[in-house]
Amino acid sequence: MVTVSQLLGRARVAYEALGVLGEEIQDEWQYVTDLGRVWLAELDRVAAARADEQATPGAQAAVDRLIDEIERISDPHRAIDWLSTFPQAVLLALGPGPVSPPAAAAPASPA
Amino acid sequence: MRFQDAARDARAVVYASVQADPLVARAAEALVLANTAGRVLARAVMNGETTDADGWRVAFPTLFGPDASPEVRTHAQEVLAVSLAVADRGDQVRSQLRGAIVEELTERLLARRAPASEVRRERRILFDGVRAEIHPYDVTVEADGRAEAYDCKWGARGINGEVMLQLDAARANAAAEDERLAVALVIFDARRSCLVRLARQTAPLGATGLVSIETLNRMAAGPPQPLKA
Repeated sequence: MVTVSQLLGRARVAYEALGVLGEEIQDEWQYVTDLGRVWLAELDRVAAARADEQATPGAQAAVDRLIDEIERISDPHRAIDWLSTFPQAVLLALGPGPVSPPAAAAPASPA
Repeated sequence: MRFQDAARDARAVVYASVQADPLVARAAEALVLANTAGRVLARAVMNGETTDADGWRVAFPTLFGPDASPEVRTHAQEVLAVSLAVADRGDQVRSQLRGAIVEELTERLLARRAPASEVRRERRILFDGVRAEIHPYDVTVEADGRAEAYDCKWGARGINGEVMLQLDAARANAAAEDERLAVALVIFDARRSCLVRLARQTAPLGATGLVSIETLNRMAAGPPQPLKA
């Protein structure tokens, strides 16, 4: 068995690699960077809040399957689509857990 | 303020054939009834990569796992089937279908609270003394005193300054004629990602509403609240 924190750690590594692929679209570099920063912070927040919680077998299989999906991607445009979808699907697979996530807040406006 | 059908130019003719694809109506029908997890499943599958149905069932345990009710599982199966059919198309066709699906879904959700005769597609909005925008609005609700205009996108990446300016200009032009026009984006993507995209826009945002993949059903209750409400 793995903890939610460990599972999200694996997801984080795969997500960061996906971000590197998305950065190949130079016109979207800022968006890709912003998106990665915000979603990685959310994954980290959930990992910290549920650090010792055991991931269910279903959640573990789901996250591993989603990691496999994004590791297959070679098209940077598709990578950008998945930079938004992957973390949302991962968090859905984990279920709400004992700590409810906060409503999505607007990131700080750029300087 | 008045509404008018978009010109039947070459783009409109081609896009009409995309909108008429039976997959569009089938997908919209499934997504109207779907919960947020079902809609995220559709987005994931239609993003396109693998088309292994069993793998997708594993990836969404809240829809297909042992704790999912038979009703949820049955409905998710239809969402998965139609999403795989879309994903199976080539990249360009898939991209066109996805946009048309979001528009069709928006129309159906709005038709839950507005008469079908008031919910229209591909319409321009004209104002006295103002040059008409070239691009029509994807979906409009043409009700006296409470009109609405929606721009629909598959992903947050589709949000751009031009779209935001067009929506806000329409709202402002309506206000100048003492008309009320609610304007909003409908984005089939995570709200968090939409807000990331919007944070870098320099166009006026405050009076425009945002409907994201998590809040689609709220459209059936009333116009979306402006972002800075």
